[in-house]
This record gives sequence, C-alpha cells and structure tokens, in this order.
Amino acid sequence: MELSFTKAGRSGLAVLGALLLLVGSLSAQETSEYFQANCASCHTIGGGPLTGPDLKNVEDRKDRDWLINFIVDPGAVIASGDAYAKKLLAEARNVPMPKVAGMTKDRARRLLDLIKAESKLERSKFAGLSLSDRPFTAEDVELGEALFSGATRMQSGAPACASCHTIAGQSGLGGGLLGPDLTDAYARLNGRKVLGAWLSSPATETMAPVFKVSPIHTDEILPLLAYMKEAAKKEGEAPGPGIEFLIFGVVGAVAALLLCDFVWRRRFTGVRGKLVRGQK
Amino acid sequence: MDVRSQISMVFHLDKCIGCHTCSIACKNIWTDRKGSEYMWWNNVETKPGTGFPTRWEDQETYRGGWLKDENGKLKLRAMDKKRTLFNMFHNPSQPSIDDYYEPWTYKYDELFNAPEGDDQPTARPISMITGDYMDIKAGPNWDDDLSGSPVYAENDPNLESLTPEQREQLFAIERMVMFYFPRICNHCLNPSCVASCPSGALYKRGEDGIVLVDQNRCRAWRACISACPYKKTYYNWHTGKSEKCILCFPRLETGQAPACFHSCVGRIRYLGVLLYDADKLEEVANLPQDQLIQGQRDMILNPHDPEVIAAARKSGVHDSVIESAQKSPVYKFVKEWGIALPPHIEYRTLPMLFYVPPLLPVMSTHTDGLTQNTSEKLFHSIDEARVPMEFLASIFGAGDQSFLRTGLRKQMAIRMYRRAITVGDIEMKVAEQMLAESGCSKDEADAIYKMTALCTFDDRFVIPPMHREEALEMLKEPHEHKQEAGFGFRTGPKRGL
Repeated sequence: MELSFTKAGRSGLAVLGALLLLVGSLSAQETSEYFQANCASCHTIGGGPLTGPDLKNVEDRKDRDWLINFIVDPGAVIASGDAYAKKLLAEARNVPMPKVAGMTKDRARRLLDLIKAESKLERSKFAGLSLSDRPFTAEDVELGEALFSGATRMQSGAPACASCHTIAGQSGLGGGLLGPDLTDAYARLNGRKVLGAWLSSPATETMAPVFKVSPIHTDEILPLLAYMKEAAKKEGEAPGPGIEFLIFGVVGAVAALLLCDFVWRRRFTGVRGKLVRGQK
Repeated sequence: MDVRSQISMVFHLDKCIGCHTCSIACKNIWTDRKGSEYMWWNNVETKPGTGFPTRWEDQETYRGGWLKDENGKLKLRAMDKKRTLFNMFHNPSQPSIDDYYEPWTYKYDELFNAPEGDDQPTARPISMITGDYMDIKAGPNWDDDLSGSPVYAENDPNLESLTPEQREQLFAIERMVMFYFPRICNHCLNPSCVASCPSGALYKRGEDGIVLVDQNRCRAWRACISACPYKKTYYNWHTGKSEKCILCFPRLETGQAPACFHSCVGRIRYLGVLLYDADKLEEVANLPQDQLIQGQRDMILNPHDPEVIAAARKSGVHDSVIESAQKSPVYKFVKEWGIALPPHIEYRTLPMLFYVPPLLPVMSTHTDGLTQNTSEKLFHSIDEARVPMEFLASIFGAGDQSFLRTGLRKQMAIRMYRRAITVGDIEMKVAEQMLAESGCSKDEADAIYKMTALCTFDDRFVIPPMHREEALEMLKEPHEHKQEAGFGFRTGPKRGL
C-alpha cells in the first residue's frame, strides 16, 4: 500500500516536471506570437527601422531596467522628459509608441529575452516582411481598390478596409467612420515598408483582435499599398454624405411617411366621429 | 354527455324603465378606478340607437364574433394570420376612445372658490384621462331616449333589415318608438374573446361558466376588445390590462346577487344555473344561422331528467348545483316557456344572457288627428306593434321571426288573460282562445304572470352554492388559503411582464 503510494508520488512528480517543461516552451511560443501581434507592425529585429527602431541588440544601446520601464508605459517615460525617449520620438516622426494592451513587467522581460535570442541569429524571423520591391502597376491599384471597398473579398475573410475607414476617391458615401481617414496614411507611415509591416499585423486595440484571427494575406498587401499611395495623390477630402444625401434623406422620409399615411389611412378614423360629421 | 353548469341570466325588457341604476351600481363597485372610468360593464341602451360603443353591432367595422369560412369551419372574424401580422402593433378594428366617450368630471374648485362677482360661477368639465379642460362631445348613453336620433338612432345597424317605409314610420312623430336594452357580458358558451387572446389570459370558469381576464397574464394585445362582438371587454389604459364584467363573482360566492341584478328597480333581471351538454358545443356553434336558437336551446338540459342528473354528477357538478338548476328561473324562461331569446346569436358565441323581447303594445290609437285611449282594441296583434318585427328579429332572432313571434304571442295572450281576470273588459273565452292559440296552458300563464309580476328576490335570483372550499381543495389546503387570502391584489395589475 505504502509502496504503491510512493510509486504514484514519483510518477506524479515526473508528470509535473514534463508539464513544467511544456509550460516553459509554451510560454516561449506565446511570447513570440505576442511579439508578432503587437510589436512587429512597428519594429523588426535586424530588418531595419519601420515606424519604430530596429530592435537588434537593443540592450547594447540602453539598459534593461530603462527598457522595461519604457515598454510598460512609453507615454509616461516620454512625458517625464527623458532625453533618449525624446530622441526616439523624433526619429519616429512623432508617432509615439502606444501603451500595449496586456503589457506587464514580466512580459516585457520575456520580450527582451526573446529579442536577445533572436538578435544572435543570422536572420531573425522578425527581420521584417519581405515585400517585393517591384513598382506598383495599374492592376495593383485596381485590385487594391476592390480589396479596400470590399468588392473583392480578402482571402482570409478579413473585413474590407472600407467597413471602418474612408479614403480619398472612395465612391458613394465613402467608407466607415470608426477608424481614421486613411488618405494620408501612406505618407504618414513613410511609405511602403512601414505601412506594409503595419498591414501584416495591425496592432491597435480595435484592429488587432480582428486581424489576428484573419490576417491580410501577403499577396494582398502590395495592391493595398498601391491603392493607398494612389489615393494619397488625390486632392481634397474623403467623400462623405453631401447635401444631395441630406435632400435624398428628407424627401425619402417624407415619401415614406406619406406612404404609411396612405396605407393606414383608415386608422384612427373612429365610428362615432364619422356619424356626427356626416350630419353637418 | 358532458354536463356542465353555467350561471345564466334573463332580462325582461318589457319591465326595463331605463333608469341606469344597474349601471351606477356596477360603476360604483367595479369601474371607478383610474383607467376604467370610461368602462361600463353594465350599460343600458335605447333601441333604436347606436349603443355603447357607437354601432357595436357593426361587425364589418369591429370584427367581433365568429365566421364560418369556406370549409364551414368556425374562425374568428377578427383574427386571421395575415391580418394579425400586418396589424400586430395596432389593431384597427377596435373602438377608439371617441367611440366610447372621453370620461370627464367637473372642476368643482372653480365653483366653490370663485371670487364674489356679478356672474354665476361654473364648474368647467375636465377630462378624466388628460386632466385638461374639454368639450363634452359624447357620453356612454348619449343617445338615451332617442336623443340625437338623426345621428344615433337612425344609424342603428339593426335597421338595415327594414324597408325604407318602415324606417320612415319608425321615426315619424307620435309613432316614434323605443325600448331599453340593458347589456352586460353574456358569459358566452363559445366566447370569441377567450379564443382570440394570444396570451391565454381569458378563461371560462369551469364551475359556473363565468368568463374572466387573468390580470397577471394579460399582455395588452387587446385582441379580445375587437373579438367580443358585444364589445364587453374593455382595455384599462392605466394598468395596461383588459377588464370585463365578472358577474360579481365575489358576491355570487357569498350568495348575493350581482350588483346590477340586486339594484334593478324594474326587477327585470333573473339569474340561475343552467345545465348544458358541452359535447354539443362545436356542433351547435356550427349550425346554419336559422337553427342556432333551437340548437342552443337543445344544448340546455332538463335538470329534472334522471339521466342528466346522473351525467352531471359524473362530471363533477355538485348536487346542490343540480338542485339549484331545478329551481332556476332562467331554465323556465328559456326552455319551459320559450319566451327568452339570446341577443345576436348570429355572432355564434352562444350568449348565456337571454332577453324577453319587449311587447310594446300600442296603448293609444291615432285617428283623424285625435289620440284615443279607449279600451276598445286595447291590444293589437303583435304585428301592429310599433316596433317592426324585423327590427326585433334582427336583434333577438338572427333575422328569423319564428321564435320571436311564438314568444310575443304567448306574452300577449297572458296579458289578455290577466286583463280578463283583473279588469274583466275582455271576455274570458276570448282570452282562453288566445292562450290556446299561443300554445300556453292556464297553469303556465299563471306561472309566467307570477314570475313576471309578483316575483320575489328569491324567485329572481337562484344562486347556487359555489363551494369555493371544494374548488380550492383541488389546489390548496383551504385553511392555509384562508390565512393567505384577502381583498384585492398584493401588487396591483400593471404594465410589463
């Protein structure tokens, strides 16, 4: 009895150990995915700067404590007047690093471990998106527009850009108003490489959960970039509901009310009222 | 045979003087609450007249009662799937508040607190719905005693069965005729209000057939409002629930006559139990229109028949209720004497309130510009009565005059017979001849005379013991219930689920 209990205890320990190992590797994988989802849209490891700086050997440039503080709450560090942080902000053309959802000191530590490990590799998997350098063609622009407006469905089933964003040159009532107008996005993010990285894994709180499930396919990024570059050239504002729309709305509403009035004209007429009026 | 008991009523229209005491008695007990001011569970109408609500008998507008569809099956006139779908949020077939009337009171403050001045102060009418000043445009008995007859009386839907000459005569000066038509819920055997309710809030009490609205289950669909062809369910705009005549069941349960019965000045009202065969219900409600009255009469069973008594016991009717049914004045009026008729049985709801139609004899003759009150030809034949037979038949015979004529001839014969006895200016032989022609024995004539003219309280109201304790036993321990029960609601009826 006692023997079998000990045996059970031993095998239990072995299972526990295996589990711990598994959790360890799981956590490494999880950190890697976290980097891809939240950091890769602005940073590469050895792929050159995007919006933010290249993170290869970042710990050689600044000590770990400073980095952890910055990662956990970039806004606070920038606001504190830290000289290095200001310099980073200027380099990023005043696009501040956002406070990333779910970031903790522990996670930042694990991210730094990951960056350290990846920096040692010849070529990190986070070296950035390998987009073709070929010049945009007219077909690219056309396909991009279709993808943007939703006329052509994204391969992953991701929602069309126009459901949340508008852009100069969109027909009709323009795109959605949930996200910002993307007319100057190409210029703001300094073109092809950075915007392409952003599209590969959009990192804002609104977009991340959607595009994590159904990311934009690499083949679709180039046409979208082409379209957005083209759109940026267009003069004026993104289209929105104009005066015609207002007129259409008012006339339509009145027409609808009149129709209801006609269809249900015999409601509320009453019985007694008609008898009495009929007498006069 | 599935024998059930039903508390039924007879109103004797020749006795009604149109005093509205019944309406007031009912109003004071039941409908003086907020939201129910406009309701008259009991009302008295003048016929010809449009009644309350206006033209309630016009089922083209209000869509009450049952229809036979092309397959001969009964269906509600108010509800078919298409209509219901397109009118889900507003039922166009129900009366508006204007078709009832906007209830009002007077601002007596202005009268009592008026400053001294040269003018007589007045209390202006204010609406009991909005509280604003209002102009009174209609009331629940606006066409009382033929007032406003060019508007109201001439629009009585029952006049459609008359020829233009008859209509003209009906409204000719000095020939004008009217009678009163008091109405409460008929507590029908085939109630269309119950059938129409989407929430299943209406039900017919098993033990006595009283039709009630469960205030907790009512969801304000108001299907019953238009489905009831007699317009006797009302919507309480304050609680958001429908309400109707409850035949004063709390009074009945304590052995008292309903308030309107109790207070009736003319003693026109009779109440008693009828036993009927519920197995025949569907068959009878489906009969051709001219067989409905006979069909309904055949459904009502003889409470003295041993076979009926055995079947009644078998289906749980208490012995005391059977005993009560044997004494029921309603049974006598409807079955034994055959002089009480259901109102508008063509709506196929099988109403259980019966009317003894008015005889309205021409008391005076009008010749050469002289009105004479001689006793010669004191009673004319019923056809010479001023109210055209077609008009009465439209209300009490589904357009068919045969039952009406039989009843009226019998009543007329009894009058002659009593005249021969008490005044003696009519020969007894003539009176007896008339009785025989109308198929009425002397004993029956005496019985009808007694029940009509000399009836006591106990003759008129034979209220069965309700045995609430036994009805309760099925659900609860009676003593336990006694401790929990009280007056009214613990929480009043209100809108919402």
